[in-house]
Parts: sequence; C-alpha cells; structure tokens
Amino acid sequence: MFLEIKDLSVKIENKNILKGLNLNINKGEVHAIMGPNGSGKSTLANVLAGKEDYEILNGKINFKDNDLFDLNIEERAQEGLFLAFQYPVEIPGVNITPFLHSAINSKRKRMNEEEIDNLSFAKLLKSKASDLGINIDMLKRSVNTGFSGGEKKRYEILQMSILNPELAILDETDSGLDIDALKIVTDGVNKLKTKNNSFLIITHYQKLLDYIKPDYVHVMVNGSVVKSGGSEIAAEIEKDGFQKFL
Amino acid sequence: MNIQDNYLKNSNNIFFSQNKEVQNHREKLIYNFENDSFDRKNNESLKNVNPKNFIDFKYKYLIPEETSVINNNHENSYSIVSVNGQCSSFKDDKIEISKILVEDYNDFTKNDTIDKNDHFVNLNSLFLNSGFKIVIKKNNNIKIKISNIITDDDLTTFQKNNYICEEGSSLNLIEEYENKNNSTSNILNVIKLEKNSHLNHFLIQDNSPNHSLIVTSHSSCKKNSTYNQKVYNFSEGYVRNFHYSELVETNSEVDLQGVFFLKDNNTSNNKTFVKHLAEDCKSNQVYKGILNDRAKATYFSNTHVDQVAQKTEGYQLSKGILLSDNATYFSKPELKIYADDVKCSHGSTIGPIDENAIFYLRSRGMSKIAATKILISSFINEELSSIDNEQMSEIIQKKLVRYLSKVK
Repeated sequence: MFLEIKDLSVKIENKNILKGLNLNINKGEVHAIMGPNGSGKSTLANVLAGKEDYEILNGKINFKDNDLFDLNIEERAQEGLFLAFQYPVEIPGVNITPFLHSAINSKRKRMNEEEIDNLSFAKLLKSKASDLGINIDMLKRSVNTGFSGGEKKRYEILQMSILNPELAILDETDSGLDIDALKIVTDGVNKLKTKNNSFLIITHYQKLLDYIKPDYVHVMVNGSVVKSGGSEIAAEIEKDGFQKFL
Repeated sequence: MNIQDNYLKNSNNIFFSQNKEVQNHREKLIYNFENDSFDRKNNESLKNVNPKNFIDFKYKYLIPEETSVINNNHENSYSIVSVNGQCSSFKDDKIEISKILVEDYNDFTKNDTIDKNDHFVNLNSLFLNSGFKIVIKKNNNIKIKISNIITDDDLTTFQKNNYICEEGSSLNLIEEYENKNNSTSNILNVIKLEKNSHLNHFLIQDNSPNHSLIVTSHSSCKKNSTYNQKVYNFSEGYVRNFHYSELVETNSEVDLQGVFFLKDNNTSNNKTFVKHLAEDCKSNQVYKGILNDRAKATYFSNTHVDQVAQKTEGYQLSKGILLSDNATYFSKPELKIYADDVKCSHGSTIGPIDENAIFYLRSRGMSKIAATKILISSFINEELSSIDNEQMSEIIQKKLVRYLSKVK
C-alpha cells in the first residue's frame, strides 16, 4: 500500500478532531475527500504534512513502507509528499526562485540525485510557469507576497509541478478561484498525473471534480470517513448537501 | 575614584579645560553627577545599564600619540584611519579635516534637543579627549570611509566629531567600528547639513565582547537637505546608538534606520529622535532587531512636530524577532504633535519567528535551521537590498552569515 491511514485519532488544544480515521491510497490513484466545515479535512492534510501542533492519540500512517510519524516535516517532503496549502503563507523577502531551487535540491540530495544547477533550474521554472500561465515577473517576487487568491493557488501548483511529488494533497485548492483560474489550476494537476503518483483532493464542491476525475470519493464527517465510493457520491452531495451523512 | 577627582586628575588631558565657559558647563555637570541629581526613573540612557560601570573609571585618558592616515584613493574618494579618536589635519579643494574648536564645543552645549539627563553625552562633554572636524566644501560630491581603531587596552576615548556639509555638497560616509581590545569608545557626532546638501551615513559596528561602544549623533538639516543614516550592529560587546535629528528648514528629510544582531548576554540600547521645526519635511525611523540567547535591547523612537511644522510626514517602525524565550526587546514609540496638518504613524511588532512560515518552508523540503535562517535574512531583506555599495554589501552579508552560523 502506498499510503495507509489506520484508525487515526488526533486532537488539538483538548479538542478531538480526527476520530479513528481509515484511508488507503494506491499508487496512481486520485482520491477526493468531501465534507462539511469542521469535519477535520484540513487537520488530516496538516497531520500528513507533519504540522507539529497536533497530538496523535492513536493510529498509524504508512507511506511508501515508512512509518510517517518517524519522519519530520522536511523528510516527508523530501520523500515525495506535497501539501498545496488552503491558505499559502506570505513570506516577504524570500524570493520565489532561489527558494524553489533550494527546495528541489534538498529533495534530490535525499534521493541521492545530482543537484540541479542554476541555469537548468531557471529553464525548468520558466517552462512550468508558462504552462500555468504565470507571468515571469511574478517569479521575481517574494513568496506569496501581495499575490491575489488565484495567484497564490497557481503558485502552489507551480511548486507542485517543480517538486513533482509522489503524493500531492490539495487542501481546498479550488476555494477563491474563478472559473478560468480553476481550469488553469486543474489542467496543471492533470498534466502531472501519472501511474506513479497519487492525489488526495480535499474540497467542498463537486465543481473541482468535474475537472480532476477522482477514482474514489470519501465523505468525511466529524473526524472519520463515513462513506466511500465513486464519483457518484460527489454528484449526490452536490444535489442534497451533507445533511444525510451527519 | 569619584567624578570630580577623576576630572581634576586628568584635566590636562581633557580638551578645552582652560576655557572659562567650558569650565562653567563642566562644573554644573560634575555637581549633577556628584549629587546624583539626574532623573533616574525616566532616564532612557540608563536602561539596562549600570552607570557605575561607566563612571568608576579605571581607564586611561591620555590618548597615545599615534598618527592617523588619510588616503585619497581616487579623485572623490577618501579613506581615513582614525586612531584613538584622532585624525590628522588635511586640506584640499574638496574637504578640510582639522581639530575641533572650543566654539564647536560651546555651540553644541547650547542645543536643547539632546536630553540633558543623558549620562553618556554628559560624560563625553566632561572628559572630552579626542575628535576631529570634517568640512565638505560647497558643491562637492565625495565618499569617505573611516576606520575607527583603538590601539590600547583600558583606553577610554571621549570623542566629539563635527561634520559640516556645505551648500550643495553630497557625502557618502562609511564608518567602521571593529575593536577587539578592552576599551570604551564614547563618540558624539555633530552633523550640520547646509542648504541642498545630502549625507548618506553608514555605521558598521562589530566589536568584541570587551569593547563598549557608545555612539550619539545630532544632525540638523537646512532647506532641501537630506540625512540618511543606516546602522548595522553585529557587535558582541555593549553598543548604544542614540541618534537625534532636527529638521530646521523646509523640504528637508531625515531617515534613521538600524538593524542589530544580538546573542549571548549582550545588550544594545537604541534611540532615534526627530524634531520637525519647519513645514514640508519628512522623517522615517525604522529599527529592527534579532535577539538570541539572553540578549536584551531597547528602542525608543520619538517624533516631535512643532506647531509651525505643517505638512509634516513622520513615520516610525520597530520590529524584533526573539529567537529565544530568554531574550527581551523593549520598544517605546512616541509622537508629540503640535501641528494640525500632518501625516504621522508608528508601529511596533516583536515576537518569535513565524511558526506558520517555518512550517510552509519545511513542507517544501527545507530543514528547520535553513528555514529559520532564510526567515531571518528575509526579515532584514529591505535593509540589505538597499545598500548600493557592492563592497559594503559583501561585508554586511559576511557578518550576517557569521551571526546566522551561531543560530541553532
């Protein structure tokens, strides 16, 4: 199993958020998690990425035959896990290009691959940015600083396409996007899809899933998965809401 | 030894001790020290400082005879090595360097912008034993680099320097303080900018733990003149930067900026004070500090807008990153506004490094230490990227790398 989440329970500040959650993802699969506000979707994304604010009460996560809890945040990233943030953090003064260059090389170093030089990286970045309709001038700016909501999400996808992760978690990447931006972002995701990488897509709405076709859809309510199935579940939710799952 | 005995014993080595007006002024200062009649409670010059350490002198006052060096590297560029606060006389058609005069001393003591309770300025006036005067002649555009060297252990220099930028002149001044001996430098820079003159003043401070550096400056700007000051403090010893500025005629501007990098048990006290005394003037005061271990810092910023100073623009900002729970940074911004058509603001943010930003960077594969260092560098990015002198930019970068290498 590529990613196996078994009976995961998590709390933050004395509040139990995830309560015995189970989820399995194989290589090459696209999974979508849908659920009402406060059901624990973003907590799951943050726990997978390694955010240290949470207390793990019970359960296990295996990723590529490793115990995920044995890896710190950067080791998870270097092993191929990527989180596209719901609210990407603005970091004034940290320029996008050297930051991404350093990120890709830290991953290559862990994989015992040769580091990518300045020139090759600049070419790669330019080509990926152009695919996502990102203006070259934007690459001269500081990370997420002064970006519109749409630009931030596009920049998350640019980072994803540069780092080429094996497991990408998209935490409400569709929120705040207009229809054109949504199309650009989802095109970017679809281009990355291969039989060797997997996606976990967190969303409230079916709209995103019209563009990225999931293999499985899970409904998450009150910290655990209450129903799993195919894309027909997304259509059901679009029609009737989450009420029937509560 | 008390102040009075100290003064009497060393009066032969102290400048202008035979002048009646100076004597009168110093007698008053001695009286205040002896009777401890300075305001202690609200005395910004005494925050985090034990005055006894600076008053019970065990230091030598007699400045050793050393010759300073002046090199005219290029046509408009001068390199000066000031030894123990002294500088040789020099004159050409662009600049003139000479000893300070008793008139300069008396002129300064009449100015009421600098706090009369400031212990270090008062000590400087009392024990003055070094200093020089540099005049930039009318309509010249020049660069000066001054390396301030102290040659002996246990030496205390009380130094008063006068800089005069004549009408239409422009000066790019870089001052380096890199002393390794057990000594104290108490320096007062008095800067006068005449009409249409400009001064960009950089101070790079990087002393060892046993050297204390006390720098005070007072600048006054006439019509259309600008004074820009940037302080980079990497010192491992005590540093105080107190900088006062008066905008005395219209369309003049002052920008007082500083960054300090503290670690271990080090302390730095900082103050900027701008007095707007004319219409249409601008001021900016920005200090940023990075504090690790048990380091302590203060920053007092003050903007005073006189009732005649309409259309003033005055901004203050103080920012600090605390890398340890034991580091402290006390910041106090103040605005006193007596005019009704002004734009003024102040802000202060001090706290630990942003954990969300650390998480974001680590989630892309960067180690925690690399993420911390990149965030510290970004915190002062503006101050670093605004250095337009390549050589100086390299020097500052190297010092930053050295500081960051100790951050765990």
